[in-house]
Amino acid sequence: MAALKYKRLTRERGPAQFSIAAMTRSSLWLGDDHLLLVECTGYSETYKRFFFRDIQAFTIRKTKARMVWNWVWVLLLSLSGLIIAVASSDWLDTGTIIASSIVLFLFGTPLLLNTLFGPTCAVEIRTAVQTESLPSLCRVRKTQRIMNQLRPLISAAQGQLTGEEVAARLRESIAGPAATMDGTADLPPVIS
Amino acid sequence: MSQLIQCPNCRATLMEDFFNLPRLTPCSSCGVPLQVEIYPAFFRKFTPGQKAEAVIVEGESSCFYHAQKKAVRPCDGCGRFLCALCDCELAGQHFCPTCLDVGKTKGKIKSLDNHRTRYDSIALSLAIFPLLIFYFTLITAPMTLFVAIRYWKAPQSIVRPHRVRLVIAIVIALMELGGWTVLFLALATRK
Repeated sequence: MAALKYKRLTRERGPAQFSIAAMTRSSLWLGDDHLLLVECTGYSETYKRFFFRDIQAFTIRKTKARMVWNWVWVLLLSLSGLIIAVASSDWLDTGTIIASSIVLFLFGTPLLLNTLFGPTCAVEIRTAVQTESLPSLCRVRKTQRIMNQLRPLISAAQGQLTGEEVAARLRESIAGPAATMDGTADLPPVIS
Repeated sequence: MSQLIQCPNCRATLMEDFFNLPRLTPCSSCGVPLQVEIYPAFFRKFTPGQKAEAVIVEGESSCFYHAQKKAVRPCDGCGRFLCALCDCELAGQHFCPTCLDVGKTKGKIKSLDNHRTRYDSIALSLAIFPLLIFYFTLITAPMTLFVAIRYWKAPQSIVRPHRVRLVIAIVIALMELGGWTVLFLALATRK
């Protein structure tokens, strides 16, 4: 069998907001007929395949991770600034300028990048037998970009539904079992 | 799985006007912005598995695993006759349970392969991390070479099928061994 070629969709990322400490890191790859979730522990990789024909739904939920991290960086920046202000007597002193630059670089850069990357989100993929979270899809903008890539591939494999069609089919599927719940379905036919 | 989609935050059942919208919409229950995309597979009905038919006519081909059941097709892996129960379809091919198991454990069926050990990362770590305490490299450099050579042909990562890390590990290990050789020679020739 010829070797499968994969195109990387996302970089490796941990399962939670505090991904620096996480041991397992996951990334998303695009195959010919499936999406590949790679969970890497450093010295081994585990693969989960989601075939386009089997994907039932994607759920994207906006999270507050960006705001929380922004507060953390602002707090660290403010505290460091305060310490430098208390410790230094002269603002134009070379040492003070160097210390301020280091602090600004250490805490200001992540703050700026976190703001620029846009709102954070949590994404779940659903098939008939599982619901898996996709930790590497953590920014709304990036997720939308990847969804725009995936949508035509999934549609080619199984067709497309509009919001109205989904609503109508859901109504049908809910009304279907309810019709047999009125107690008449399981009764034997009445012979008159 | 249920035919209902729930909000991942509050687990409330989502209403009809939520699905396949091009934007995030707040959940009516908890207010968290959500976007839910549903595809036709969500409404696909499951067909029950086939039942194996019993052999009726004497001399009719029977299943290798169930002698009393009628064979419906041969296994694409080993050629044994299979009944409807033993016929496992995978990506257009038909296998018996044994071939599927062997294919998975030996990595012959690529789509069943779901785990790989990264020997290249192990070799590279063995080559690099001991540099922090250089004395360890006397032991770890030969270990690196052993791992790199022993697992040179082992299955690599599915998504990064190259040996760059192994090559780098070998180069670093050789440099470490070269360094030790020079040191020992210098010590031996010192008067």
